[in-house]
Amino acid sequence: MNPDVLLSAIIFLPALGALLLAFMDSRAVSQIRAVALGFTVATFVLTLLLWGQFKYGEAGMQMLVVKEWIPTWNVFYRLGVDGISLPLVILTSLVTMLAAVASWSINKQHKGYFILFLLLETGMLGVFLSLDFFLFFVFWEVMLLPMYFLIGVWGGPRREYAAIKFFLYTLIGGVLMLIAMLMFYFNSGGTTDSFNLIELAKAAAGTSETLTSTLSPNLQITAFVLLFIGFAIKLPAFPFHTWLPDAHVEAPTPISMILAGVLLKLGGYGIIRVAFPLCPYGAYYAAYALVGIGVFSIIYGAFAALAQTDFKRLVAYSSVSHMGYVLIGLGVWKIGEATGKTVNPDMWLMGINGAMFQMIAHGVSSAGMFFMVGVIYDRVHHRDLNQFGGLMGRMPLYSGLAAGLFFAGLGLPGLCGFIGEIFVVLSAWNYSPTLAIVAASGVILTAGYILWAMQRVYMGSEYKGPHSEDITPINGRELTVASVLLAFAIILGVFPGILFDMMQSSTGALVDSMQLGYEKAAATLNELQAMR
Amino acid sequence: MVGETLKFWLMIAWLLPLAGFVVEIFFGFYSKNPRHSKAAAWCAVGCIGIGFLCSANALRIWGNANDWCVLEVAEHSNAHADPAHSEETHDADKALADHDHSDADSAKGQTAYSGVIYTLGVFGSLEVTLDYYIDSLTLVMFTMVTLIATCIHLFAIGYMSDELTDEYVDHSAHTADGGHVHRPGRFYRFFAFMSLFCFAMLGLVLAGNIFQVFIFWELVGICSFLLIGFYTERKTASDAANKAFIMNRVGDFGFLIGLMVLWTFFGTFRFGDTVVDDQVVDQGLFSMVHRDNTGNLTREEFTGDVLITDTHGHVLTNEDGSNRQIPYYLMVVVGLGIFAGCVGKSAQFPLQTWLPDAMEGPTPVSALVHSATMVAAGVYLAGRFFPMFVQEVLLTIAYTGCITLFLAATIAMVATDIKKVLAYSTISQLGYMMLGIGVFGWAAGLFHLITHAFFKSLMFLCSGSVIYGCHHEQEMPKMGGLLWKMPITAFTMLVGVCAISGFWVPFGLEFSGYHSKDAIVASALAFNYANPAHFLLFLIPLLTAGITAFYMFRMWFYTFVGKPRDQHVHEHAHESPWVMTVPLVILAVFAWFCAYGGESGRLYLMLTGDEPAHVAAGVTAATAGGIVLPGHDAIHAVHGQAGTWALIAALSGALIAYVLYGTSVVNVEEMKRQLAGVHGFLANKWHFDELYDALFMKPAHKVAAFCAWFDGAVFDRILHSAAKATVIVSKWDRVFDENVVDGFVNLIASATQSVGTSLKVVQTGRLRQYVMFIVLGVVALFAVMFTTFPG
Repeated sequence: MNPDVLLSAIIFLPALGALLLAFMDSRAVSQIRAVALGFTVATFVLTLLLWGQFKYGEAGMQMLVVKEWIPTWNVFYRLGVDGISLPLVILTSLVTMLAAVASWSINKQHKGYFILFLLLETGMLGVFLSLDFFLFFVFWEVMLLPMYFLIGVWGGPRREYAAIKFFLYTLIGGVLMLIAMLMFYFNSGGTTDSFNLIELAKAAAGTSETLTSTLSPNLQITAFVLLFIGFAIKLPAFPFHTWLPDAHVEAPTPISMILAGVLLKLGGYGIIRVAFPLCPYGAYYAAYALVGIGVFSIIYGAFAALAQTDFKRLVAYSSVSHMGYVLIGLGVWKIGEATGKTVNPDMWLMGINGAMFQMIAHGVSSAGMFFMVGVIYDRVHHRDLNQFGGLMGRMPLYSGLAAGLFFAGLGLPGLCGFIGEIFVVLSAWNYSPTLAIVAASGVILTAGYILWAMQRVYMGSEYKGPHSEDITPINGRELTVASVLLAFAIILGVFPGILFDMMQSSTGALVDSMQLGYEKAAATLNELQAMR
Repeated sequence: MVGETLKFWLMIAWLLPLAGFVVEIFFGFYSKNPRHSKAAAWCAVGCIGIGFLCSANALRIWGNANDWCVLEVAEHSNAHADPAHSEETHDADKALADHDHSDADSAKGQTAYSGVIYTLGVFGSLEVTLDYYIDSLTLVMFTMVTLIATCIHLFAIGYMSDELTDEYVDHSAHTADGGHVHRPGRFYRFFAFMSLFCFAMLGLVLAGNIFQVFIFWELVGICSFLLIGFYTERKTASDAANKAFIMNRVGDFGFLIGLMVLWTFFGTFRFGDTVVDDQVVDQGLFSMVHRDNTGNLTREEFTGDVLITDTHGHVLTNEDGSNRQIPYYLMVVVGLGIFAGCVGKSAQFPLQTWLPDAMEGPTPVSALVHSATMVAAGVYLAGRFFPMFVQEVLLTIAYTGCITLFLAATIAMVATDIKKVLAYSTISQLGYMMLGIGVFGWAAGLFHLITHAFFKSLMFLCSGSVIYGCHHEQEMPKMGGLLWKMPITAFTMLVGVCAISGFWVPFGLEFSGYHSKDAIVASALAFNYANPAHFLLFLIPLLTAGITAFYMFRMWFYTFVGKPRDQHVHEHAHESPWVMTVPLVILAVFAWFCAYGGESGRLYLMLTGDEPAHVAAGVTAATAGGIVLPGHDAIHAVHGQAGTWALIAALSGALIAYVLYGTSVVNVEEMKRQLAGVHGFLANKWHFDELYDALFMKPAHKVAAFCAWFDGAVFDRILHSAAKATVIVSKWDRVFDENVVDGFVNLIASATQSVGTSLKVVQTGRLRQYVMFIVLGVVALFAVMFTTFPG
């Protein structure tokens, strides 16, 4: 398919579906479900087409689409895909498709639900594919509203609280991003590339032909901090994470899947696509904080998970813990003081790749874990870890699949969670042995909380909670979702090369341009010092 | 070419059990009659049995390719075993110690093969791959694992046969109303997990790099978790499974640190060099550190950093021209880190407590996973990674092993559960192996690994046969007098007991344990002579050799002779079916004779075929007062002496056991009462569980609770206060808005209105009146203008 059409089609096909749903009879529930699912499947197929057309080994953006949008403000409709966004796009369409299958359990206002659901998908795909800062921002905010309503209307008992908490946190992040965006806009002198993420990145590295003025090193730091906080909220990293457990606990199962599977990745993607390339010096300046926050999130999240009695909250905190690895992997950038060059750039490259892998892997495993919690919740309507037990005997197939997915979360070799974690940790010693050791100690805690939870839920002689009579074996629909996720977990765990091959060139180019950006900023600083 | 062929056969042996797992778990679940079919078991036996044939074939191919040089060369040197001559050869060796590795290889033909299976990820110059590394150790391990696993699988068909039912009653799992748990049998699941384990274990042995070892390390760990927790309904089982996995993870944490340092400084995980057409295409770790002719690592003169070299011993350089090197203390960290992993996996002090609990798993699991193979993987890795260990690390290994072997043996003396005795004995024997490796008896440690695998899996299966025959009774105080009820079991077990005690028999028919334990004790004695300060490393193992014989014979006498202590158990006891006794007999033969010939026997020579280059000559102390590591001849010199001592110790242990438990001369109960303090201390396993609970578990839960509380009490409170403040501000804002802003606006509005109302009267509609107003207004305006702006 023509790339111009393909990228836009991927983004707007779900929105088209939402439009179609708007004209359907709200009582025709099964048709509504079928149409919504059909659109998510079609979108998934389109993203596979995108993968088919993707050229491996090409570092830059591919299939660029540039159209004028708001010429007076130099806002363009720019789309494109590279090795960093492609895996996330595929992950998004996959998880959304599976979440649509999981949405059969939604039992009220189906039409509104699926309309918002599809709009959400448009927003997410838009963020991953847009290369114009303004467009990026617009999609970022577009995502926010459907999510707010999906939690606030279809959620659990404290849904309004959770929804508003989610909304406010993310909104604050958005505002910080807006400020940073305006900094770049006014600094670049209002040319047609003022919002062009690619040119802005090149400008920061000093390789742009159209943009010459860049932020001063100090402003870079400010901009980076603003962007980082904005994205860290989404990630979420300690101490910006408290919206996550509430949002997860209250959100309906499919929305939890999307939240954990895709939305959290937007934070990591924002850092790697926007914050890093646009402010290389700021990134270097804050690298230690990044890694430190990452390490702290791992340990803190794991401890907090250990103390939970709510099954879903436990999984939510495990997300906080697992996403810490993303920050570490991105942040392990060490510059030799004498040479001004990156020390062991391959280690950092490995860290970035590991972080990217961890995002995808977490998308698969956490979506799976949330789904598995949802399956049992749909039957017994509670999530109290101390009131389960014995499910291995009652629902053997379900328990087996759940064990697989939880092991993926635990970071068992052969499953997806392992590769991301281990590659990140291996790359960390080069940066800071202390932080690396602390990060590595997370493996003990992770094993602790996951195994303990599994013991309380799946093992034991009998089920201890209410609604024992409603426990029925897993049905075909649930089996499909769970086994697809588990299959992905295994494939990624055994053949991680599938992803690494996809990302390699782009991440390599990122490392190089960051080095250039650092050198440029360092040169500026030296000049300033010389003038004084 | 040979490498490819070997890889092919071993890969089949490795991957077949995985295929078996998939088939068993799926067909088991979806087949019509999974609860009564033994198909899964035969599938598992078939997979691992073929695996054994493949491994044996690989061994044959390997040997033919190098004309069995391993056996010949050694036989040659053995033929001239007089001290003077061997001194000479070793001198020659020392002179050649500066040789490059490939020369040594070509002298005896290539014996180690390594290469890539596939790539996980490439990052610039860094490459993470799955490799294979095949040398004599790999092949011996492969053959041993597949052979023992086949026997155990066969045995398990009988042992697990009561799972072949739709309604299995688990007498050890209780429901809330006090009843027993009834559940469908899980025969196929057991064999599926066993197959998965075999896959993971063989992968661990085949692994060509340390990272890959870590991968399979974790996988055997999870299989162990699944198998320990096989009876998921039992709280004790799931607790034990968790404990095993988490304690292993503690060790793996250290392992990870070792990996991080290796990766950062060496940039590779490979063991050996990959050679294609006589060219080294990928250098491995072992050739990246170089040993000089004293056996010590080559170090930088001033900083003392260890230099990283190419295969020929030339120092590699960084991009900026400086030498590539790694600080010496980090070499220690690497060694200790990797060893920490081994401590976890091999249940060494201080991570030993999980293994006895792991006996919750079905007995075949204990035999395969928790005695013969997985727990020995720690020793295997310590042996495999030996070239990278420096003296400090070896000393740590030695002392860890020494503490462990003593501690576990003392607990084994008082244990009453037949499987627990064996479990502690396993820990103790693993301690011996570690000690052997630590005191530079590389071959001795691994030799004992193999012999132990045979006799311990034999004894576990025997205990399984006893348990099966006694209808799942495991407490020895309820047994007794079973000798003629189950003679095959009893006599095969006696073989195992003699083997572990290390008894000597004339005409070269010594039990395998005699050879391997002697080798360890001899290494320890030689080490003791070289380093007199570390005399405990010899005395404690010697003493423990006696304890070992004592508790093993205690167990045998307790179980098989004497008066039946529980009539009910005794009456219903019976010998097991052929499917269980045949494996016992096979294993008994191996347990007795596998080490035939001792240190000039084939097993030993095969094992030592690819011994790390610096082991033979020994290592002189790097610093004054440092550790001296004895070479082969030093160990040989004390072999006879050590062997005698060990045999005396073992015989006295066995004798004491006979007096106490084989006869009724001494009242054991009375003795127990007399020594209640000691007995209690030992029976409570030195209180390690309580200690760890207080030291780690409770604090961890406290911290966890704190973190959870912190989130709610601090972050959310800040957030909520902010929200409340916003609401209050908004309320004030509303009041302000309604009263002040709106009041002002309203005031203006009402003023305007009243003005309007009052002006209404002048709107009369009469034109003349309006003209008059205008005129007056204009006049007034002018009047104002002229008065205010004069001029």
